[in-house]
Order: sequence, then structure tokens, then C-alpha cells
Amino acid sequence: MISVSNLSVRLGGRVVIHGISFEAAPGELTAIVGPNGCGKTTTLKAISGELPAETGSVSINGRNLKGLKPWELALKRGVLPQSTVISFPFTVREVVRLGLTAGATSDPRANDRIAADALEAVDLGGFAGRFYQELSGGEQQRVQLARVLCQISDPVADGEPRYLLLDEPVSSLDIRHQLTIMQLARKFCERGGGVIAVMHDLNLTAMFADRMIMMKAGKIRASGAPGDVLTDETMEAVFGCRMQVSAMPAAGVPFVLPQTATL
Amino acid sequence: MPRSEALARGMRLTALAADIRAEWRSGNRARLARVVIVLLVILAAATFVGSIMTGAADASLSNVVAWLFGASDADQVFSVRDRIIILDIRLPRAVLGMLVGASLAVSGVVMQGLFRNPLADPGLVGVSSGASLGAVLLIVLGSAVFGPLFALFGFYALPVAAFIGGLVTTLLLYRIATRGGQTSIATLLLAGIALGALAGAFTGVLIFMADDKQLRDVTFWGLGSLAGANWTKIAAAAPIILLSLAVTPFLARGLNAITLGEAAAFHMGIPVQRMKNIAIVSVAAATGASVAVSGGIGFVGIVVPHLLRLVIGPDHRYLIPASALLGGTLLILADMIARTIASPAELPIGIVTAFIGAPFFLWILLRGRTTMGL
Repeated sequence: MISVSNLSVRLGGRVVIHGISFEAAPGELTAIVGPNGCGKTTTLKAISGELPAETGSVSINGRNLKGLKPWELALKRGVLPQSTVISFPFTVREVVRLGLTAGATSDPRANDRIAADALEAVDLGGFAGRFYQELSGGEQQRVQLARVLCQISDPVADGEPRYLLLDEPVSSLDIRHQLTIMQLARKFCERGGGVIAVMHDLNLTAMFADRMIMMKAGKIRASGAPGDVLTDETMEAVFGCRMQVSAMPAAGVPFVLPQTATL
Repeated sequence: MPRSEALARGMRLTALAADIRAEWRSGNRARLARVVIVLLVILAAATFVGSIMTGAADASLSNVVAWLFGASDADQVFSVRDRIIILDIRLPRAVLGMLVGASLAVSGVVMQGLFRNPLADPGLVGVSSGASLGAVLLIVLGSAVFGPLFALFGFYALPVAAFIGGLVTTLLLYRIATRGGQTSIATLLLAGIALGALAGAFTGVLIFMADDKQLRDVTFWGLGSLAGANWTKIAAAAPIILLSLAVTPFLARGLNAITLGEAAAFHMGIPVQRMKNIAIVSVAAATGASVAVSGGIGFVGIVVPHLLRLVIGPDHRYLIPASALLGGTLLILADMIARTIASPAELPIGIVTAFIGAPFFLWILLRGRTTMGL
């Protein structure tokens, strides 16, 4: 369980997160959505330990982040940033294996297998020998995800669930790979791990998330199951545009079309 | 060696080469890197011996070796002259070349890793100028101001002063060029130029103030040369250089992780701030000690790591030892060129490395313009 309680975060001299509280349970995909600049990424950075809490606290499996060393954190959670530029000519295999630095095992055979599986999982099976710098943005994003999967290869370790913190994991992917990656995140949850993802695509979120946290201006405006959060009222209150939330009759998954919007 | 055995060995080598090629295609350069390091060890040893054997004067190495292994004076296998030329002139020079070359190349690698940019180099971004300022400050203001420093450090005073100069410059540079964990390469290079110029201006003022003897010391020291190599200099610089070089392999994993950014390195479990502190101090110490004993020798820190990255890739676990070996080897070679090309006169080695390094640097720029965001 990742618990965020009464968390405020200061960024560049300004408080941008104002006392938010929520919990992300293992086995669940928790999505954070909201308009640009509402504090989604900042929240994720505070959960990863990258930014300190101004007030309040974040705990992971019952332990306050403040008391955890970088290497201890690295064994509990992996983090996918929005984009990563590398200025040295690393091959894809080398980048992915950087994720093994945290080192659950030092057995070279096991490490080779973990790295190969991770590349397979993000649909980059034949890419090990390619240079990272020569890949497209979407491919680079998937390489980084494979690197994170190397770090947190087992969703549960030593009886404790582990977590993936993903910042816009599908932002530069084509539709097929958006589905691949979201399914991968789902599967991670089904195997006992937890996922917190910052998302922009509300329909993908509705399809895959167990819980949705909708933020605006550094505060949580609505949270719960996607069906409860995605309503005409919250859409207007949070995004400032009136649009119609619909539901596919079969699965009852809500969706919202930009065609229905009036600005 | 019997024919069949030679054949078997040849086949093993062919198989190894095939393995390495296959691994390279799948993005795995670890074994290639290890083989390259072994080759570099051999190359370094050969260059080292070669540089002891060549020089303006004739001196027979084999006789000196025989003497070292216990042939007595009565055997008449050596002359005192040979012994002095080899043991007191060429050997310290080769040792110093190896030390300084390794130190410059590794400082380059660590700095490039830390700033996440292949163009960062202590010589280029003003760290060497800062170290020079420290050294000149000591020579000119000398015992009047720094009496206690001399008393405390003895003949280590010059390297220590250069180290402090280098450290202050590196810290300033880091403060200026890095914001929120991201280093702007343009700011880095420009700030480096500014800091280098500032250090140069202060050095100029000091030279202006210097008396004749000090001027002589500064000039000789600043030529960028291994010509004054002797065992005293080595004793002063070697501990500092070896100590800071010994630390760098422990930075390798952290430097690898930090190529993805400081945040990502932290996510992967690296104690980023502590690693940066250690890296900055070791770069400043290695650069300072090298500058103190050999003046300004440029471009080794940029050329060597870049060449090696082309072959074995940027993995610092291999790049650091390989750079130390190739840096030492190249500096000894450059020194051989410097002392033979205009024999019996000598060119300052800084001129040779600049002739090789500057065009190479331009080539890197042209080649990497797109990928380095320039």
C-alpha cells in the first residue's frame, strides 16, 4: 500500500500541492488525471521520493519515505519519467540493463533473462542491438519502461508488493502499443503489484484503471472508480469544458468524446 | 610451440572474435570491452618499455636490466651514464607520463559522466586553469603567505594548491551550469570559458607581480611538459593521482545511472548527491595533481574517452580502466614525439597534444552536432 496523507509539496518557492490524501493499493491500477499543470507529475515525484514533502507524508508498505535510503526505495518501486535524453551512445540492451543496477540478483543468467523478458514485454524483442539515440520517441519510452521492469521484475518480493510509478507511460505511443503497455500494467497489478500512473487519455484510463484520482490546482477534486469520477459535472468542474460522458452498453465502461465538447 | 597447438590457439581466437561479433550485434559489448582492456594493457606495457629505450642519447636498456638483476660493477656490462639516463631521466618520465595521462583521461571520463555530456573536460571548462591559478598563487606568493601550507604539506604543497584551485572551479562550474538536476551544456561551456579567463587573468596579475626567479619557475612549470620529470615530482603527485584514480571504479555504476538523469539515477537507488561530491573531489584532485607536475596538457581528457566510447561503448565500468590505460599510453607516445621530432631540442608536450587533439575535437563536434543538442 502506498499512502499519501495530507501531502503538500513546494516547487520553486511556491506550494503546488495542497494537502492531498489518497491510497494506492497493491493489485490496483491507480490513475491520476487532470488538466496541465494541476500537479500530477509533482505528486508522482513526491511519491517517488524525488521531491520532499513540505507537510504530510508518503509511506510505502507502511514505511515513511523519509526513513528509506535510495537503494531501499529502488527495491520497492520503479519510476518511469516522461522522457529521457541520453547523450552517450548506449545500445538498447545496455540501457535496459541499467535497471539491474538496483540488483535483486547478481546471477548473470537470471539477469540476461530478466532483461530479455522486459524487452519482449514492451514489444521490442529484436531491438537489443540498436542504439538508443537512433530510436523514435515512442520506442525510447518503451525502452525506458523495459528498464524499469528490469528494476522491479517481480511484482511481489519478500512477501511485499512492489510498485510501478508511471508518468504518462503511453503519451508518445501508437494506439496498439498504448494497449500493450496498459495491459502490461494491468498484468503487473494482477500478479500482486501496484501501479500509479499519470494519464491524459481519459478513455484508456477508464478502460484500465481501478481507481481514478482527478486533480485540479494541486487538490483532489474527485476520486473513486472511473464510473463514479467521470461524470459530466466533474468534467466541467475540472477541465472547464462541458462534455458528455457516455457508456458503452456492453461493458459499462464510460467514455467521453471530444466531439461532444462546448468550450 | 608445436604447429597443432598454434593452430588450436588460432581457432580459439577466431571463435572468440565470432562470439564478440555476435554479441555486438545483440548490443552486448561487455566481452569486447574486456578484450580491449587486455590489449590496452599490452600496448601500455610495450609503449612504456619503448619510451625508455628511445631518446636523444644512446643508452642500452639491456645492460641496465642486467645491472638491476645483479650483474656487479666488475662485469662491466653497464656504464654509469646509461644508468643515469635510463633510471633517473627516462624512467621517471615514462612513469609520470603514464600517471598524468591516466589521470587526465579518467578526469575527462568522470566529468563527462557527471555533466552527462561528451564535451566536458577539465582542460576545456576551466578546471585546469583554476588548478594553474592555485599553483601559481603558491609559487609567487610563496612562503610569505603560504608558509604554514609549506610547513604542513612539504613538497605536496604545489599539488595541494592546484587541487584547491581545481576544486573551487569545479564547484563553481557545477553551481552555475546545473539547475534542478539538469546541466545545460551551453551554460557549462560558456561558464567554463569565463571561469578559465578569470583564473587566467588572476594568474596574469600574479605573473606581473612575480620577481625573476618566480617568473622562471612559473614559465618552466606552465609549459606543459614532462621534461622536468624526476622522482621527487612523482613522489609528490603519485599518491594523490593514484588515490583519486582508485576511487573512480566505485563511481562507475553511479555514472552509468546518471546518464539517464539525476532523478532516474535516484530512482535506481543511487545516492546521487554523495556520488557527485566524490566525483567532483576526485576530478579536482586528479586534475590538480597533474597540472601541478606537468602544467597544462590539453585534450587527452576528451580524445581518449571519445575514441573508446566508439569502440567499447559508454559503460563506465569498462570505460574508466580503458581510459586510464589509453590515456597513459597516448601521453607517453606524445612525449616521445615531443622529444624526438626536433631532437636534440624538445617541443613542449602540450603543443603535440593540441596538434592531435584540437582537430579531433572539431571532428567530434561536426559528427555529433545533432545528437549533442548543439
